[in-house]
Amino acid sequence: MLKRFRLEEPESIAEVSELLGRFGDSSKVYAGGTELLLAMKEGLVDYERLINVKKLKGLNEVNAANGTIKIGALCTHHQLECSTALKEKLPSLVKLEQNVANVRVRQAGTIGGNLCFAEPHADPGTLLIALGATLVAEKSSAKREIAAADFFVDAYETSLAADEVLTEIRIPAPTANSHSAYLKFGYLERPSVGVAIAFEQSDKSLRNVRIAVGCAGPAPRRVEEAEALLEGKSTAEAQRNLAQAGAIAGRASEAISDLHGSQDYKEHIVGVLLKRAFQSAIS
Amino acid sequence: MQFQKEVEILAPREKVWKFIWDVDRFIACVPGCKEAKTLEDGKKYSAIIVEKVGPFKVEFPTTIEVLEREELSHIKAQASGADNKIGSRMKIDLDVNLREQDNKTVVSFIAGVDILGKLAALGHGIIKRKADQVLDEFAQAVKKKLEGEA
Repeated sequence: MLKRFRLEEPESIAEVSELLGRFGDSSKVYAGGTELLLAMKEGLVDYERLINVKKLKGLNEVNAANGTIKIGALCTHHQLECSTALKEKLPSLVKLEQNVANVRVRQAGTIGGNLCFAEPHADPGTLLIALGATLVAEKSSAKREIAAADFFVDAYETSLAADEVLTEIRIPAPTANSHSAYLKFGYLERPSVGVAIAFEQSDKSLRNVRIAVGCAGPAPRRVEEAEALLEGKSTAEAQRNLAQAGAIAGRASEAISDLHGSQDYKEHIVGVLLKRAFQSAIS
Repeated sequence: MQFQKEVEILAPREKVWKFIWDVDRFIACVPGCKEAKTLEDGKKYSAIIVEKVGPFKVEFPTTIEVLEREELSHIKAQASGADNKIGSRMKIDLDVNLREQDNKTVVSFIAGVDILGKLAALGHGIIKRKADQVLDEFAQAVKKKLEGEA
């Protein structure tokens, strides 16, 4: 049962930040509520105040201009799976969003809430790392950009300061030669493993290869060591190196043995998914 | 969940043994442990263990009972507590062994940790990882404290 709490309804980011600063750990930003309210109903967390950000203006739009795709933190998963701009520019993100949880979660849950809750089995963070996204964090008097790879600190922990609010996700717009894919696998409600890859193909070689793994461990991680095995290589050479890259990515995932699978199993699946993700991205 | 840790301390066994029974100083090495009290000297103690994984916090008022004690070499203890607010219980079976090696003392901890109740919703893997971190921090804190005094 949900305990009583006070609902704050600020009208600006500055006000949200001020409330977070004033009430500290006894308050929490509330957007879609798909994860937060469940945890509160279960009695796992207890907040005196929820700070409703759903009415803040301008945070639920997707814009693609000047080489950057900007996604407002309050965009729901459903909005993103239906976004015309994303369908045109980033079909890999659209596909990911189409498969987030279930239709009820996608209708209410927001991309910002998903990233800030930092549930280890969440999908979007992994692909955003591979896409080289940055996350915009704002507070009363300042604004900063955090690389997606630096945003996830640990399970349920992000690098947001206590009084900061995530307002926007910025993704470099893919070029005609860009390829990306995110694949996941699991047999429970949440995925056991998620793997993302992004790269550009120029002069028959791969450039700016980025690989990220998620769900298997406490937080999504970029795997630069695996990327190095594909960087600058031809497609055929890269394919030959995929098994080795997959093994490195598996170890880098910091896979935890749990109900979703043993550490060895998850590490193996990372390798399998990396091969498939590469094929999917290139086709 | 089973955990095993071993820490080498540059100090004689007598000193390490004495330190373990100096409850206030020893408890200060347990991350998140506060308000340690001696209920029955050498046998029963109480403390509050506070831990955090992201926004999830637990506070276990814990009773620690010493079940076996072999001078300078072995302690078997059991700690149990419940966080009624979050509806979870914790039980730790702890075996501590001391042995001398050259001019060092090797302390090995074997801990069997059971977490029951809603906290388990966080997932076994996450809890196991946290418990492992706590035990690591504890072992290093004991080493630092004793070697710092050398």
